[in-house]
Amino acid sequence: MKDQDGLTAAAFVRGIGIVFGRELGSYFDSPIAYIYAAVFLVLSGTTFMNSFFLQGVVDMGPYFEVLPFLLIPFIPAITMRGWAEERSQNTFELLMTLPLHSLQVVLGKYVAALCFYLVVLLGSLPLVFMLVWLGEPDLGIIAASYMGAALLGALFLAFGLFASSLTSDQIVAFVLAGLTGFFFVLSGHEKVVEVIDGLAPAQQLGTWLYESVSVEPHYEAFGRGVIGLGHLLYFLLMSGFFLWMNQIALQRSKF
Amino acid sequence: MTASPPAIAVAGVTKRYGALTAVDDVSFAVHRDEIVGFVGPNGAGKSTLLKMLSTFIHPTQGRIEVDGLDVVENPLAVRGRIGYLAGDTPLYPKMRVDKFLRFIGQARGLQGGELAAGFERAVDLCGLGSVLLQRVEQCSTGFRQRLGLAAALIHDPPILLLDEPTHGFDPLQVMAFRQMLRDLSPGRAILFSTHIVADVEAISDRVLIIHQGQLLGDGTLGQLAAAAASPQAGLEEIFARLVQAAPLSSEQP
Repeated sequence: MKDQDGLTAAAFVRGIGIVFGRELGSYFDSPIAYIYAAVFLVLSGTTFMNSFFLQGVVDMGPYFEVLPFLLIPFIPAITMRGWAEERSQNTFELLMTLPLHSLQVVLGKYVAALCFYLVVLLGSLPLVFMLVWLGEPDLGIIAASYMGAALLGALFLAFGLFASSLTSDQIVAFVLAGLTGFFFVLSGHEKVVEVIDGLAPAQQLGTWLYESVSVEPHYEAFGRGVIGLGHLLYFLLMSGFFLWMNQIALQRSKF
Repeated sequence: MTASPPAIAVAGVTKRYGALTAVDDVSFAVHRDEIVGFVGPNGAGKSTLLKMLSTFIHPTQGRIEVDGLDVVENPLAVRGRIGYLAGDTPLYPKMRVDKFLRFIGQARGLQGGELAAGFERAVDLCGLGSVLLQRVEQCSTGFRQRLGLAAALIHDPPILLLDEPTHGFDPLQVMAFRQMLRDLSPGRAILFSTHIVADVEAISDRVLIIHQGQLLGDGTLGQLAAAAASPQAGLEEIFARLVQAAPLSSEQP
C-alpha cells in the first residue's frame, strides 16, 4: 500500500463516520431505496405467510430459509450504485482526492450499506411479534437466525461493493454481484453438490465447494441456533477479504 | 522568480496509458504568490497533469512534490494542502448545496468553529447564499461551477489546482472569477488549466503551454513571445508558433 500518511485511530474512525453519514443520507434521499425495501419486505413476508398458513407452525424457519435466495438480487440492487455511480457521475475523483484513506472510504460506504440492510431486515420483526402473540416460538433460535442473516448480508454487501468497484456500469455491477451470490448460495444446495460431484467423482469438487466456500453450511448453523466460532470467522474473514479486495481495486485505479 | 522552495515541483513526469503517452517528460515549478495558467487544446494532457498533482493518479515516471511532499508517498498530507477543482466539476447531484459543502469541509478535517468559518467564507467568496437550500441538480451550470470552487476553497488551502474553472460562467462571472483569483493569490500558489486564451492572458503571472503531452513553453507572456520570435504576438499566436515548431509525436492519437 502506497499511502504512508500516519492517521490516528480517532481520525481514522472519524473519516469513516463522515463517509458513512453522506452515504446513509444518499440511500434515504432516493425513492428507489424505499421501493427496494418495500419490495423486499413484501416478498419475504408473503413467502413466510404462505408457509406459515400451510404448515401451521409457530416458527420463523421458512423466512430464514428463503432469505439467501431473496438476497441474491436484493443486495446487488443496494450495492450496484456504490462505486459504479461514483465513477459514472465523476464524483469518484472528488472522493478520492479528499484527505481520506481509501480504506476509510470503503468502510464508510460498507457500514452505510450494512445499516440500510439491517433496517430493512428489522422490518420483519412484526412477524416475530405475531408468532409470540400466537404461540411460543424459540426466541433463541430466532435471535441466532437474525444474527446469521445479518452476517450473510454483510458478506453479500462486501462482495457487492467489490463488484461495483470494478466497473462504471451499474448493470454490470448488479450482474457480477448477483452471479457471485448465486455461486455462494447454490454451491451449498444438495442437488447442485451432487451434480458437480457427478461431473468429476474423483475430485469431489461439489463437496469441497460446499464445505469450504458455500455460505449454506455456516448460515444453516445459525438457523439451528448454533453460533460457532468457525461460522462467525467464515463470515468475518470472507467479508474482510472482499473489503480488502475493494480497497486494492481503488488503489489500482491510480495506475 | 522567488528563491523559496516551490509549492509545486514537477520533475520529468510522464504518464502512459498502455501505448498512449498522455504526458511526456514534463518539468515545471509553481511558487507561492504565483498564478500560473496551463494552456493547451483539449486532450493536450492538462487534466492528466492536474490529476497527478491532486494524487488521483500516479505518474508512470518522474517525481511530483507539493509543498515539499511527494504525491505518491504522502497522498493524504498533499490532499490536505490543496484545493482541487476537477474537470467537469464533480458534485453529488442529490445533495443539498449546504450539506455538500459541510460534507467536504468535514472530510477536509474541519470541525466546529473552523467548519462554520470556512463554510461562511467559501459561500461568500463564491456567491452561493441564494442556492444553499437547493439540491445541486437544481442549480445552473454557473452555480455548480461556483459550488465546485467553494468546495476547493473551504479549507483555505495554500495551493489551488483548478481544471477549466471558468467552464459554464457567463462574461460577468468570468470577470468576477478573475478578480477572485487575484484576491486569493497572495501567499498562495494557483495553477489553473484552460483552453480559453483570454483567461490566461488576463490573470496569469506565468503561462505553461502544453501540446500532445509535451511542455512547449514556460514563462511570462513576454518571455514566450520572445521565444516564439514574435515580440508583439498574443498568446494565441505564440501558441500556434510553438505548436508548429514542435516535432509531432507518433504515439499521440
